[in-house]
Amino acid sequence: MTEFGLRLAISLTQIAAVMGIVVITVLILTLAERKVLGWMQDRMGPMEVGPYGILQPFADAIKLFFKEDIIPAGANKFLFTVAPILCLIPAFIGFAVIPWGPNQTFEVNGITVRPFVISDINIGILYILAFASLGAYGIILGGWASNSKYSLLGGLRSAAQIISYELNVGLSIVGVLILAGSLSLVKITDAQAGGFWNWYLFALPAPQIFAFVVYVISSVAETNRVPFDLPEAESELVAGFFTEYSGLRFAFFFLAEYANMVLVSCVAAALFLGGWNAPYPGTILALIGLPSLAWVENIMWFAVKTYSFLFLFFWLRATLPRLRYDQLMRFGWKVMLPIALGNIVVTSLAVFFYQQMK
Amino acid sequence: MASTATTKRSNLYEWFKTITFYEILVGMKATLSHLLHYRPVTVQYPHEKRTLPDNYRGMLALLRYDDGTEKCVGCDLCEAACPSRVIRVVSAEVPGEPTKRYSKEYYMDMTRCLFCGMCVDACPVDALGMTREFEWAVYDKRQLHLNKQQLLAIGDRSFPVREKRLELQHPNVAFFNVAFKHVPPKPD
Repeated sequence: MTEFGLRLAISLTQIAAVMGIVVITVLILTLAERKVLGWMQDRMGPMEVGPYGILQPFADAIKLFFKEDIIPAGANKFLFTVAPILCLIPAFIGFAVIPWGPNQTFEVNGITVRPFVISDINIGILYILAFASLGAYGIILGGWASNSKYSLLGGLRSAAQIISYELNVGLSIVGVLILAGSLSLVKITDAQAGGFWNWYLFALPAPQIFAFVVYVISSVAETNRVPFDLPEAESELVAGFFTEYSGLRFAFFFLAEYANMVLVSCVAAALFLGGWNAPYPGTILALIGLPSLAWVENIMWFAVKTYSFLFLFFWLRATLPRLRYDQLMRFGWKVMLPIALGNIVVTSLAVFFYQQMK
Repeated sequence: MASTATTKRSNLYEWFKTITFYEILVGMKATLSHLLHYRPVTVQYPHEKRTLPDNYRGMLALLRYDDGTEKCVGCDLCEAACPSRVIRVVSAEVPGEPTKRYSKEYYMDMTRCLFCGMCVDACPVDALGMTREFEWAVYDKRQLHLNKQQLLAIGDRSFPVREKRLELQHPNVAFFNVAFKHVPPKPD
């Protein structure tokens, strides 16, 4: 009983820590996005709340918390209530299998604890893909339940979008899975240790550069970001699927979008960019005689990779206009799908002959 | 033959551009260069304000001479010139001086004003001026219906340096609406 209690306590602590980090990251992102976007457009971004506007996320959070919660007349109340939650939970639940740091363990009262991953399940990446797909249901249902033409159009566009990117996300990852021989994110990350030439983006025998490009484009579509922000297209559909939402429910959608961004960035870092591995063999802290603190450096590298990926999202948003959804679907089916399939063929052939030669 | 070879090569070049996202990269380079050479063009408005040009056409005001008398002679020309019918002048004779008139009442409905400056141009005695005030947002529209006292107050705070009376500026010239010493005052 005590062992079970201890296990529960440790797990809950880990979950609370990860959730806390993700929420803090989202807070930082909301500000960072407005700031970076402003700077790229010769503006200043938010400047009023706190010095240089750094307290803006808190002001936004307080505002959203105290706003009136409106359910429009004629809306399907149950689905309208459920949709934001259905959007938020899949966005957060994927973080359970992300390895934040090295795969080390320590013991508390005979219980082995892995501090940097909540659970290392052997189908980690499938689990993330499955829940990421569920998130789109929140958008579609929210759009349908609102009883508004703009919301409905946003939801329909989301449905059109999901069938054009979902497949490509899955197929672009397959090359990495062939190389790693595992679906567990911990194992995939471990296999990329020892310098950037071992990252699957560059690794022999089959560099996954094309798969990486396909994954990046698809993940932008998956998170509904510019240039694939068709479901919320504010210049066409007011706010798309969350037009009728206000207050906390709107905040849930907002949080889900940013959490999804963090999630796809983490997955990209883990799959293609070596996860928490430094771009050089080993770690500097271990080299100068602090091997017990090497995890600090590793986590820092993971953060650097994730944040540079998130910066790419802002950068694309500042640069590109929105696609039409027929363009998105044509691009998804006629360009990205053949590239992803070709990548699988090339990778599997390369791996096969590589093993033959050995 | 040579031309087909060049088109082939240019086609290849276009294709290469497409697969490397060349155009997108050019755009991203532009946005990044704006980020690196960050020079914001915005002004943090309530905290810092632009210096307005001297001929800025802001809030209208009635002016005074340096001895504190009103310039306005009640001629109604501003009312006639105004395209939006902002101005309403009630003209009257100066008591005891039959050749002089003044504006007994003077109203401006600033909700309608489009700041064209035609009233200022129309005024024969330069009694109207446009200030550089522009922060006239109010909660009640009726606060923008200004009377003579308010317009004079705006003029007082915006034009601290006042002109001399016309007859003192140009002693040898005869002026409209300047009292003639030889005309006897009107009996009451």
